[in-house]
Amino acid sequence: MSGGLPRRIIKETQRLIAEPVPGIKAEPHEENARYFRVSIVGPRETPYCGGKFKLELFLPEEYPMAAPKVRFMTKIYHPNVDKLGRICLDILKDKWSPALQIRTVLLSIQALLSAPNPDDPLANDVAEQWKVDENKAIETAKEWTRTVCQRQIVHTSLSGLYKSLCARYQ
Amino acid sequence: MSTADLESQDSVDPESSEYDDDDDDNIDDYYYNGDEDEGMASDKEEDPELFEFVIIDSNEAQEIFDLLVVKICQEIKVSESVARILLIQHDWNTEKILERHRVDPVGLLIEGRIIPDKPVAQTTSRSLYCPVCFQRCTKSNTTSASCGHAFCDDCWMLYCVTQLKIGLSSGIECMNCNLLIGEEMALKILKSGAAREKYRQFLFNDEVKCHPLIRWCPGNDCGFLVKVVIPKAKRILCSNCNSIFCFMCGEKYHTPTDCYTIKKWLTKCEDDSETANYITANTKDCPNCGSCIEKNGGCNHMQCIKCKHDFCWMCCGDWKSHGSEYYECSRYKSNPNIVNESAGIQAREALKKYLFYFERWQNHADSLKREEETKRKINQKIQEKVNNNIGTWIDWQYLLDAAQLLAKCRYTMMYTYPYAYFMEDGRKRLFEYQQAQLELEIENLSWKLERDELYCRGDFENQMDIAEKRRQTLLKDFLVL
Ligand SMILES: [Zn+2]
Ligand SMILES: [Zn+2]
Ligand SMILES: [Zn+2]
Ligand SMILES: [Zn+2]
Ligand SMILES: [Zn+2]
Ligand SMILES: [Zn+2]
Repeated sequence: MSGGLPRRIIKETQRLIAEPVPGIKAEPHEENARYFRVSIVGPRETPYCGGKFKLELFLPEEYPMAAPKVRFMTKIYHPNVDKLGRICLDILKDKWSPALQIRTVLLSIQALLSAPNPDDPLANDVAEQWKVDENKAIETAKEWTRTVCQRQIVHTSLSGLYKSLCARYQ
Repeated sequence: MSTADLESQDSVDPESSEYDDDDDDNIDDYYYNGDEDEGMASDKEEDPELFEFVIIDSNEAQEIFDLLVVKICQEIKVSESVARILLIQHDWNTEKILERHRVDPVGLLIEGRIIPDKPVAQTTSRSLYCPVCFQRCTKSNTTSASCGHAFCDDCWMLYCVTQLKIGLSSGIECMNCNLLIGEEMALKILKSGAAREKYRQFLFNDEVKCHPLIRWCPGNDCGFLVKVVIPKAKRILCSNCNSIFCFMCGEKYHTPTDCYTIKKWLTKCEDDSETANYITANTKDCPNCGSCIEKNGGCNHMQCIKCKHDFCWMCCGDWKSHGSEYYECSRYKSNPNIVNESAGIQAREALKKYLFYFERWQNHADSLKREEETKRKINQKIQEKVNNNIGTWIDWQYLLDAAQLLAKCRYTMMYTYPYAYFMEDGRKRLFEYQQAQLELEIENLSWKLERDELYCRGDFENQMDIAEKRRQTLLKDFLVL
């Protein structure tokens, strides 16, 4: 098993690409097959609807004996995600089992977007807001989703503009 | 284990005479009591600190566990591995297991995560894909617990080694559900000797942790255990490493303070160590003539070399007033109007109060160390006297006994301060009174010991008797158990 990529990772990657989970995209990095660029579409009927959230997922050397490391790259207002994008999810910690897979992890994160759990918080201020005034918290989450996605759109269109400008002046 | 065993264990103190030679600055040693009043039944009944215990090694502890395992195996017809899991889960209470078994034998095993709550369909195919490594393997190369979740043996081993790394043994679950795999399966999976040894060691730790009457000795690398009859916050003396600790919390013995309070106190001391740093002074000015006095013994009764003024090291008050009932050295006089003061004044008052108690706690700890030195000197002196045919070693033993008793009393004295710090008003007056009485007798004994040539054996024996009586009275009145 040393050196090469374990069969398990190869198989999982192949399946992720061949049969992607609806609303989730996961692609291994060209230079490091243990590093995945992930994006999750905000589930419908949640304050994250309309947003597209980028994450990074890394399979440590011990995988699958140790859980993958996952982090939100896009800012998100959620009681179980902190400012640095770290996620409070039991299967990423003590409830990890080698029988779980990248697919299960990503599905669980998608489910977490649909069902925030302020009783097991990572971002204490957000969780507090969630408990005190859920409606207001949901509004804030929507607001964050809107601004973040606008910025993404602006960013994409700007880089598009830049590319076309470059093309013109070459 | 019979009472006779306990007695003999208690009296096995082969170190009691050697102890004096190899003592270092280990504070655990201070509470050492060489002659534990053996055979004085009437005294024993009254001793508020009396506690039955026996020091055992890990083999003896394992035997105690294994006997119970065998009992459960026979009574409810399960494997040793299953019996061990059940016993750990039920804190070694065999009655509870048997009772549950009588009522609902299947429920007992389901609750214990030994069998699945729903029956599982066993696969009949001769080969399968291991769900962890995705390799195809023959059935003979896979293992599963009673849940039927089969994985290849290589994955199981890697998994168990990973679980061992995070300290799990009896708690290792199936890779796909929460059934416990148990000792038998774990040892079948773990091939290397080191891993198996580690598993057994962790399992033994789990066994100890949940036994209400057995604890590890907290002494550094001691490896012995203590077994008691009734679990109480009482004093344990390890016959292997001489550690003295509280059975319940494993901290240094802390009578008359209770486990919860001593923990609070020690945490506070740690948190406030910056503030309290400046306290350690070795010199003070004589309150009468102002000349600089260095403290070089444990006794807090100071006498100025220049003007012969007697004063107290702690409060710098006149020593003569320390004996009267107006003894105010150990009592903190708080501002009675404090609730009406500003937050700033209240905070300063709180700090003042803490430092008052901390200073005394610290000072007694310091005196304990210094009196160790005194004891060493006494030992030397006795040696010289004996060498010069001035009495026999036994003739002078009372001096060492006095030093021993002094350490014991001072140790208790030290631990009265956390108690007093957290004490509510009410019985506080009585406590402070008894505390002051004990403090006075301790300093009198220390004073005599540092000047042993001036006093006769009778003086010492009187002083020892009074000091120990004061200590016992305080403990009897305030030791809540
Ligand atoms: Zn496998
Ligand atoms: Zn299972
Ligand atoms: Zn020990
Ligand atoms: Zn304790
Ligand atoms: Zn003086
Ligand atoms: Zn004083």
